[in-house]
Amino acid sequence: MERRHSFELALPGASIGAVAGAMAGGLTLVAGAPTGLAAQAALALATPLALFGGLFGVLVGHGVLRPGTFGPAGLYWMAAFPLSRVLQESVAGVGMNDGVLPFLAYQAMVGLGFAIGFVWLHERFMPYWLSRRAAVNPLAAELLGVYVRYATTVRAGKKGSRR
Amino acid sequence: MDTSNTPPATATPPVEDQRVWKAGRLEPMPIRKLPDAPPSVHVLGPTVFLVALGVGMGESYMWPRLVLLFGPEIRWLFLIGVTLQAVVMLEMARYAMATGESIFSGAARVFKPLMWFFFVVAVAVYIWPGHLSAGAAAFEEITGIPWMVTAIVGLVFVGVVFTLAKVIYNLLEVALSLLIGTLVLGTAVVAAMVGSWSDVVTTITGMFSFGYLPPEALSAAWFPVIVGACAFAGPSGMQQMWYTLHLRDSGAGMGAHQPQIRGLRHAGEEEERPARGFMFDTSDPAEMAKWKGWRRWVTFDALLLFWGITMLVTISFTVIAQAAVRIDPGVRTVIQGDDREVALTAMSNAVSSAGSSVLGVVFLGFIALIGLNATLGLFDSFSRGQADMTFHFIPGAKKLGMSKLYAIFLWGVILFGILILLFGPADGPSGILDTLAFLSTFAMGAYCVTLLLVNNRMLPKPIRPRWWSNVIIGFGAVFYLGMLFYSLFAYGVVVG
Repeated sequence: MERRHSFELALPGASIGAVAGAMAGGLTLVAGAPTGLAAQAALALATPLALFGGLFGVLVGHGVLRPGTFGPAGLYWMAAFPLSRVLQESVAGVGMNDGVLPFLAYQAMVGLGFAIGFVWLHERFMPYWLSRRAAVNPLAAELLGVYVRYATTVRAGKKGSRR
Repeated sequence: MDTSNTPPATATPPVEDQRVWKAGRLEPMPIRKLPDAPPSVHVLGPTVFLVALGVGMGESYMWPRLVLLFGPEIRWLFLIGVTLQAVVMLEMARYAMATGESIFSGAARVFKPLMWFFFVVAVAVYIWPGHLSAGAAAFEEITGIPWMVTAIVGLVFVGVVFTLAKVIYNLLEVALSLLIGTLVLGTAVVAAMVGSWSDVVTTITGMFSFGYLPPEALSAAWFPVIVGACAFAGPSGMQQMWYTLHLRDSGAGMGAHQPQIRGLRHAGEEEERPARGFMFDTSDPAEMAKWKGWRRWVTFDALLLFWGITMLVTISFTVIAQAAVRIDPGVRTVIQGDDREVALTAMSNAVSSAGSSVLGVVFLGFIALIGLNATLGLFDSFSRGQADMTFHFIPGAKKLGMSKLYAIFLWGVILFGILILLFGPADGPSGILDTLAFLSTFAMGAYCVTLLLVNNRMLPKPIRPRWWSNVIIGFGAVFYLGMLFYSLFAYGVVVG
């Protein structure tokens, strides 16, 4: 049961990762590239990004990473994004012409940018998902509490005098 | 707090604080409690609007083009432009969060004609639907749907959505967050696939080549383009001023004491809107501690979200452009021309020919996405700004209410836009194009001056800007106005 609860927390991050990875491949199809090639490229990136995205949600749920903060998420994706790209290149890529180290360094840099978009979207989807699962998932209920406390802080201000 | 303006505090605090803060000749601001600041590093904030407005053609097209023409060293001007904008953003936020008023009201407190100047500039510059054309044209490249159809449908869609929305701010924040999140993730993935370490190294090191200006840049053909690109590094024109309205509606700082604007369909539910802002007790250490919390929150927004995302998108697009030229050197010749759409298509084709995937379509998709962001953001911001000034400063306008005024400006600009798209030049009559471009950049120099006056004269001393911040904003005024007038007098042309 505990494992299922954790798995549920992984869904928003996994979805974002999968969509991001599939984006290039999906658009490749629109433009008429061979279906097999496009699907392979998309899958090779979407799978690891979805896995790392899901793991991110689980780590947030277990209190390892704090929701809504950028620093740890940036470091996380600086490692996770290059690994995902290595996997994609090894399955469906053209190889690392610049050499492994420059490739990894470049991907880590891009990974930092990827983290901004990921955290941005994760912060949007996660609270909605948690509010749906909170009744049956104690981990979700606990994490939802963190988001609710933040929202309460903001809303409390809105009740101020307007005269 | 400057006690000369406020009656002394009583020993027992009254239930309703009767003290006021006098700023300028307008109605004094009652003293109210500052709400607690949210966690300083929380991601969600109204910066989403600035990013939506700021990440536009400057980042996706103008700067990548200049890098291809003059080399990555030209990017030191971009670094200055974006950093300047981040400081401007922090200083705009200072007044809006301390008072719950827009910067337009602040300008009116200093000198009312100053505010009317911005009212007129907004109408002159932003009623033309030209910004839609690039996004719609990119969409036409992908789908074959004529750009004019997309543009008109987009205009009506924006109007209907904002009319039906219960609270416009909330809807827009969600919509723009999703669009920008997708844009950021997508550009990162594409840049990761087409770029290389050397591309990004030259792009970044170029940002520190301060003072680099090749001889060909100092010409009547290119200097105005560089001036325009500097103004378009981040939010251009009046977009920073509109950000103060989004801050207010998001409930940041004393904006918590102001109601949100509702869509026309829900105008009847609008709460009573105060005629002026509020001030908190700057002599109270507890209130000042909360103020510091709000400053940390907005600084995070400015530095990571605004500065970071703007930098990221422009670096990604520059990397894509460099990859495009490596693949097809002919692109360089094409982009030297004036035709923006031809150049974008050329860059897209070159990226496409990388072979591994059809990233050119992705590239055009992002241009379309940027166009949609700009449409949503600009129409809302324009209507919000004009409605705010009309509501507070035109006699009798209060009777209509903010929601109706917002709807009037929104549908006014939409209908005008449709008529112009059908029957006229989208960017505005060619004869006044130069004037509009001039006004847009001039407004940026003017808002730097306005900001200095408002923050240093209308705020209590403990929360006024630091000296170094004033120096940077002063430099901003000289930077924008100086380059603009130099271009005008040395070459006889304004921004490109």
